[in-house]
Order: sequence, then structure tokens, then C-alpha cells
Amino acid sequence: MMFVLANQIGIWTHAANAGITLVVLGFFFAIVLLIASEKLKVQRDVRIEKVLAALPGANCGACGFAGCQNYAEAVVANPILLGKCAPGGLATLEKIAQTLNLQISESGPPQRPVVFCRARTADKIFCAKYEGIPTCLSANALPNAQACKFGCLGFSDCTRACRFDSIHIIDGLATVNYDRCTGCGACARACPRNIIKMVPFSYENMMTVACSNKETGKVTRSMCSVGCIACGLCTKQSDLFIIKDNLAQINFEAYQPSAQAEVAMNKCPTGVIVYRGKTAPPPRPPAEKTIAAKA
Amino acid sequence: MDKMYVLLMGFLSVVIVNNFVFTRFLGTCPYIGVSGRIDTAFGMGLAVTFVTTLSGVLTWLIDFYILKPFGLEITNYICYIVVIAGAVQLVEMYVRKFFPSLYDSFGIFLPLISTNCVILGVCLLINVFWLTDNLPEAAVLSAGAGIGFTLAICIMAGIREDLDLADVPQSLKGAPITLITAGLLTLAFMGFAGMIKQ
Repeated sequence: MMFVLANQIGIWTHAANAGITLVVLGFFFAIVLLIASEKLKVQRDVRIEKVLAALPGANCGACGFAGCQNYAEAVVANPILLGKCAPGGLATLEKIAQTLNLQISESGPPQRPVVFCRARTADKIFCAKYEGIPTCLSANALPNAQACKFGCLGFSDCTRACRFDSIHIIDGLATVNYDRCTGCGACARACPRNIIKMVPFSYENMMTVACSNKETGKVTRSMCSVGCIACGLCTKQSDLFIIKDNLAQINFEAYQPSAQAEVAMNKCPTGVIVYRGKTAPPPRPPAEKTIAAKA
Repeated sequence: MDKMYVLLMGFLSVVIVNNFVFTRFLGTCPYIGVSGRIDTAFGMGLAVTFVTTLSGVLTWLIDFYILKPFGLEITNYICYIVVIAGAVQLVEMYVRKFFPSLYDSFGIFLPLISTNCVILGVCLLINVFWLTDNLPEAAVLSAGAGIGFTLAICIMAGIREDLDLADVPQSLKGAPITLITAGLLTLAFMGFAGMIKQ
């Protein structure tokens, strides 16, 4: 009995000591931190947190800032930057506008990347075999292992840049999965040859001249079996096409699908005019004549 | 002179031979998490060094002048945690005020310093296992632990920056190659064991 009592008293006296020590310690740090928090105060706008919550959080850099946090700060400070978030689209835009108490004006069609090249490995001509660092950036620095200076290199720089898993190298050609693509433009910035360009998709499928080769027709043919040889057949069929820099091009701002354009697409000797988009039909093979010319 | 020698040996021991990351495997969370780029890693190392030094010295003072004389060693964990959490809060406010970009790149790892086992490890080793009996020794050992951590994380960040350009097999990309690198680095540092006789 006595032992239990003594033990109890011992516990209580020690507990009191421990309690006092911890309370004093706690108060000491509380005061130090209180002073520090007053001295080192950082003012933060509550709207930044709200805007950040509305953003997708992919940190893709489509807006031109390093990440969503930076864009949120910038857009709160400067509302002109509203609507730069391509992945978030209209829903995000509305939420941000609501937070910042702004009205949204009309915006254009969504931008989507188009790969201006249609040469798969079988269509390309190689002068040598490249065995360096497997990135387009370093392959592009070398004089051409691949004959075409403008074609897709197929080392996946765009695939690595994509945060949405929507561009892949299929048979040596970058191919966009338009179902997943949010139009952030990371692939267009990553491509060292600038053959991925952002195009306003006013229709679900857009007709494109899938080539960037600016050489004359004869040189182009010596490099690739599916390049644009600037023969001008398409310009005779439809006003949609213009020849510039030895390359047929489409003015996407004034894009209208038409029967003449379809005819031009089917008449193209190298089959370089193709549809790109969510439900685009596969490109037709190049005409017999071209294959004979290659051989 | 003899005392200086002891301090120097203690410092070298805790930085290189008994490096907290390489031989005790403490603090591997930020060691893997924040070692993507050298400048961020160095900033993290400095923050950890500051916190270890401050909390090492403070906990030694508390342990030696309060806990031991009153027989309250049993409360040492809770006291250390209070000290560490307070020190981390201070560092966080300081970094947020004066280095906003560094604050952003640290992300969650800055508040996580408070649960970093290097720091509790330093406090426990100094006061409980090594039974350091003078303040200079405690200060040198705790600062050395932080510098050892900085060394480890900077070496790791340097290797990982170069690894970005290396042709790593698909199956080893990302975390696996990082862990293999950490293992090889540890093996190399294990080679220092036995250089300083206990």
C-alpha cells in the first residue's frame, strides 16, 4: 500500500515538472514564432488560391508561364492574360473570370497541333544511320542522316513534351491523338524542326498539306516519296491552296471544306494533302507514278 | 589543441565517414525528392543544415540544463519535436519572405523538413547515444550532419542532371535508376568506413 502511494506521489511530482517544462518550452517557441510571423509577413492575394484551384494543374506551360502557380499569380495581377489556359478550355476560363469578376468576350476556334509531314519510315530516304543521343534536338544538330531536312525525325521530343499522352511516334512519324489533345502547344514548342504548328480547328477535321519541304520539286522527290513537289495541281482545282516557297499551303483562317478541295486532294500526285482531326480518314498511298519515279 | 583535433575528427567523421544519408540511411525522402537540380538541392541542403544546427544546439542545451538535472529524460522526444518544428517554421517563413522562387521549387519538402529523420536523428544521437558532454562538440556534430546531408544531396543532384542525358533503358527510367544510383553512391561512401578509429 505504502509503495503504491509513494509511487503515485513520485509520478505526480515528476509529471508536474514535465508539464511545467513543456509548457514553458511551448510558450517560448510560440512567442518566437509570433514575432517572426509578424516580422516576416508575406501578403498573398486570396484570389490566387482560387484561380489555382480552377486550373488543371498539369503545369504544361501552354500559357507561357513555368507552371499553373505562376500563371495564377500573373493572371490575378494582369487580367489581360485571361484565357491563356488551353488545356482547361472554356470551363476553366469561366471559373477564373468569375473569381476575378470579369466578362468573357467571344473567342476563336480551339488551336490544335498539326504535324506538317506525312513520311513514315518506309517513305523516308536515309543517307546514313544515326546512332547518337536519341532526341530530335541532337539528331537535328547533325547534317542529315535523314535526307529530308524538314521531315519528322521520330525521336519523340514531342511525346516527352506532351503532358496529356496525346502525341506518339507511329512508324517514325509523330501522330497526334486528337481525342486526348488539349491544344497546349507543348509539342509545337518542343519540335526542333518546327514542323508541328498550331492550327485553328474550325471544323472537326482539317485538310492540311502535310509537308514542310521548301526545296524544289526535283530535290524533294530525291529525298522523300510523299513530299510536296509544288506541282500546282491543287491550286488549279481550288482557291484554298497557294504555292509559296515551293510548297502548297492552306490559309487556315479562311478554311472552308469544298468539293473542289476534295478533288485536289485526290489528284495530288504524292498524296501529301491529308485530313487531320478526330475522325480523319487515313491518308491514301501516293500515286503509282511517284513510286515509279523513286525507283 | 587536443580539443580542436577531437572537434575536427568529429566533424570529418560525421560529414564523410558516418554520413547520415549514406551510412545511416536517414533523410532519404528529400534526398530522392529534391535532388532533381543542383541549385534546388543546394538550397535544400542549406535549409536542412540550418535546422540541424539550430535544433542540435537548442536540444543539447535543453537536455543538459533542464531534462537531465530534473530527471525528465523520458520527455526528450516531445521536447526535440517541439524545437525542430519551431526551427522549421522559422526557416519556412524566412525562405518564403526572401527567396520566393526557392520556396516554390521546394514545394511540400520544406515543411516536411520537420519530419526529416536526419534532424531527429542528430538530436537523439547527440544527446542519447553519443552522450556529448560539451556545447562545441554538439554544435560541430549537428552542423556537420547538415553539411554531410548537403554533400550527399548535391552529389546526387549532379549525377541526376547528367542522367537526364544518358540513354537509360526504358524499364529503368525515373525512380529505378535513381535508387540504383543512390545504392552505388552509398557503396562508394561505405569505403570510408574505418578511416577514423573509434
